Amino acid sequence: MQTKKTISGTFLKWLLLIVGVAFAVSMVFSWTLQTRLSEKSAHNLLRLNIADVRQDVIDASDANLLALTRDIASEIDAGAPADEAGLLALTARHDVAEINIIDADGIIISTTHPDFLNYDMRSGTQSAEFTGLLDGTVREHVQSYQPTSYDPTLLRKYAGVCLEGGGFVEVAYDAERFQRDIDHQIVGVTRNRHVGENGCIVIADENWSIVSDRNRNEGKNLVATGIWIDRDTMAEGDVFTATVYGVESSCMYVFSEGYYIIAVLPENEILLQRDTSVSLTAVLEVLVFLTLFGVIFLLVRKLVVNNLNRVNNSLSKITDGDLDEQVNVRSNTEFASLSDDINATVGTLKQYIAAAAARIDRELAFAKNIQQSALPSVFPPYPDRKDLNLFATMDTAKEVGGDFYDFYFLEENKLALLIADVSGKGIPAAMFMMTGKTVLRDYAERGDAPSVAAFNANNKLCEGNDAEMFITAWLGYLETDTGLVRFANAGHNPPVLIRDGRACFIAQKADLTLAAMEGVPYREQTLQLAPGDLLFLYTDGVTEAADAAGELFGNNRLLAALSRRFGSGEAAVRAVCGTVKEAVGTFAGETPQADDITMLCLYYAGNNALTVTAKTTELPAVTGFVNRALEGLGCPEKTTAQIDIAVEEIFANIANYAYSGEPGEVTVRVRGEDSAAVIEFRDRGFAFDPLEKPDPDVTLPAEEREPGGLGIFMVKKSMDGVTYQRENDENVLTIRKNFAK
Amino acid sequence: MTIQKTLAGTSLTVAPEGRLDTITSPQLESELRADMNAVTNLVFDLANLTYISSAGLRVILSAQKAMNKKGTMVLRNVRPEIMEIFEITGFSSILTIE
Repeated sequence: MQTKKTISGTFLKWLLLIVGVAFAVSMVFSWTLQTRLSEKSAHNLLRLNIADVRQDVIDASDANLLALTRDIASEIDAGAPADEAGLLALTARHDVAEINIIDADGIIISTTHPDFLNYDMRSGTQSAEFTGLLDGTVREHVQSYQPTSYDPTLLRKYAGVCLEGGGFVEVAYDAERFQRDIDHQIVGVTRNRHVGENGCIVIADENWSIVSDRNRNEGKNLVATGIWIDRDTMAEGDVFTATVYGVESSCMYVFSEGYYIIAVLPENEILLQRDTSVSLTAVLEVLVFLTLFGVIFLLVRKLVVNNLNRVNNSLSKITDGDLDEQVNVRSNTEFASLSDDINATVGTLKQYIAAAAARIDRELAFAKNIQQSALPSVFPPYPDRKDLNLFATMDTAKEVGGDFYDFYFLEENKLALLIADVSGKGIPAAMFMMTGKTVLRDYAERGDAPSVAAFNANNKLCEGNDAEMFITAWLGYLETDTGLVRFANAGHNPPVLIRDGRACFIAQKADLTLAAMEGVPYREQTLQLAPGDLLFLYTDGVTEAADAAGELFGNNRLLAALSRRFGSGEAAVRAVCGTVKEAVGTFAGETPQADDITMLCLYYAGNNALTVTAKTTELPAVTGFVNRALEGLGCPEKTTAQIDIAVEEIFANIANYAYSGEPGEVTVRVRGEDSAAVIEFRDRGFAFDPLEKPDPDVTLPAEEREPGGLGIFMVKKSMDGVTYQRENDENVLTIRKNFAK
Repeated sequence: MTIQKTLAGTSLTVAPEGRLDTITSPQLESELRADMNAVTNLVFDLANLTYISSAGLRVILSAQKAMNKKGTMVLRNVRPEIMEIFEITGFSSILTIE
C-alpha cells in the first residue's frame, strides 16, 4: 500500500534536507576558512613576536656596540695613539675584533687589520653605509651583524662614530664578543614574553646553544626543545611544525645578530581559535536556519496547507452531494483561481447532472408506459360479460413499480385473477415483474391449476435470480358458472370479500413467496363466491400506507372502509377501488406515498341462469330462481314483486307462443348492475319481438277491451327498460329494473 | 291458491287468497264460470290477494264484461300493490273499487 504524505510533511522533509545540506556546506566552508584564518593569524602572531624579539636583540647589541665605539672615539679624540699599535691596544682593552680610522675621504688610514689599510669605504655595500658619517648627516651609525664587504665569509657587527678631527672611527666585533655582553639581556627578552596564550620564544646562538628560553634550558642544545633547523631547506620567516617540549607546535625562526630567534605557538591554540569560531558560526547558523525553517514552515501552512484544507472541506461537501457549495479561498491569486475553477467545474457538473436526471426521468416515464401497457388497462375489460365486472388501479410510488395485476380468461367460463408485488422498486423490480407476470400466465394458460402454476413459476423464477428478488402473489381462477374460486397464495395479503355490506378477509393460508426457494409446494385453496359478492385484491401499499406519525393504514381500517354496500356491477368495482384510495389518501394526508398502491376488484354477478322447458308449469321454478337471485342482489321487496310480475308475463308469453308443437327451452339469467336488476330471457323459438305489438288502449270501456297484449304492456310500464334482440337464432328479451331508493 | 266463495241468493262473494297468476287464473275462471249464471251481484274480496298478473287481469276483465250485462261487480279490500297494477293497466277506470 502506498502511504500518502501530507504536503506539510513532504515540505518539512525537503526543507530539513536542504537546510541540513546548507548547514553542512557552510560548516565545511567555515571550517576551511577559519582554519586558514587561524593559521594566518597564528603566523602573523609568530612573525610579530619574532620581529619584536629581533628588534630587542638588535637594540641590545646596537646599544652595546655604540657604547663601546663612543668610548673608543672619545679616547682617540682625547689623544690616544691611533696607529696600528695604539689601535691594537684599544682592541685588546675593549675586547673588540677590529678598529679602523677612516679619514674624511672615506679611506681607511689606520687599522688593526693591515689588510684593510687604504680601503675605500665606498667600494663595498656594507662599508658604504658608513659614508653618511662623512657628509655630516649622522654622527653615529651601527650595523647589524652581517658579512663584511671585505670578506663575505666574515660576519661582523660594525659601528661608527665621528671623530672631532674629521673622519670617524669604526669598531667591529664578532657575535661571540657581543653575545657575551648582551646574553643576559637576551635572557630577559623571552622570560615574560608569550606568543599567544601558551606559545614562547626560544633564542639560541649560532652553535644551537640556548640563550633564552622560558623553560630555563639556557646553555642546553636547541635539540633539547625538540626544534630542528636546517637553514639550507628552511627559509627564515617560514612556518614549520615541530614538537616543542612535547607539544605539537607551529614554529618560525629568523637568524639575527648571530641568534636563532624561534617563535613557537602550540597547534592546539591555533585550532582552539578555529574551533571557537566554527562553533560560534555553527550555533549562529543553527539559530538562523531554525528561524528560517520555522518562518517558511508557518508560511507554507498559512498560504498553502490551510487553504488546501479549506478547499478540501468544500470539496468533501460537494462530494457529499451539496453541489451548491462554493469554494471561496481568496487569500492569494493561485487559490482564488483554483476556487473559481472548482466552482466552474461544479457548475458544469450540475448542468450535466440535471441533464442526466432529465434523461433518466424521461426514460423512467417511458419505462412506466411500457409497464402500464403490459397491464390490462381498459375498463370495463369484458363489456359483453354480464356475469362479472373488473376494475383495477395501480399508483406507483416511483416512476416504475414492482406491483402488478393481471386477469384473463383461461376458458370461456374460467377467469384467472392475479395480483402481485415484487420486492423493491424501480427498474429492476419492474423487469422482474414483467418476467413474473409472463411466467405465471404461461403456466396458467398451459392449464396448470393455481397451485401448480405457482409451483412451476416459482421454480422458473428461482433460476438465475441473482438479484435475490421475490414476488408475493395471489393467483385465483374463477369458475364463472359456479362462483367457485380456486387459488394459491404465495405470501400475499389476504383478499377481502364484501358480501351483504360486510367486509372480511377470506379464509386462506399463505405459502412462501415466489422466487424465494426452489421446489416449495403451494396449496390449492378454494373460495365460493355468491352472486353479488365483491372480491378485493390489493398489495401492501394499501395496508402499509403511513400517516405523518408513521402509523400504518392497517387491516382494520381497510375492512371498515369496505364494510358497506357498494351496489353491483361496474359501478361497484369502481366504487370499491375509489373508496379505498380515498380512505388511504385521507389517512396518509401529506405523507408521501412510500410504496405502490395496487388494487383489483371483482364483482361476481354470477352466471345466474336457469334453463327450463318453455311451459307455464315451470313458472314457479322460474319465479323462485329469480327471487333468490334478486335477494342476492339486495333487491327491495316491492321491486321484487314488480319484477315477479314482469318475469311471469314474459315467461308466459314465451311458453304460450315461442314454440309450436314440442316446447323448446328458455333460459332466464339474472344479474345485478348499478343498483338495478337485469333479467334476460333467451329462447330459440320463432323470431318474435313482443315489443312491436301496439299497446292496448287502457282508456276504453271494459266491453271494448281486448284481453291480449296486457302482459307486455304491464312489463313496459313497470320496468325501467325492456329490450329485444335476435341473436344467433335466439330471441333475447332483457328487462331492467332499478332498485327503488 | 285458495278461493273462498260465499253465495247468498244472486249475490256471490269471491275471496281469492295468494297469487293470481298464469297458473292459478284458470282455477278462478272455472270457479266463476260455475256460478255466474244466477249471479247479479258479484263481489271480489281481495284482502288476501297479494299478486296479480295479466292472466288474473283477464279473468277480472271477463267477469266485469259479464256483469256489465246483468248486474254489478264490486272489488273490495284491494291491497296497494294490486291497486297499483289496476292503475297501470287502466283497470281502475273500468272497475268499481270500494
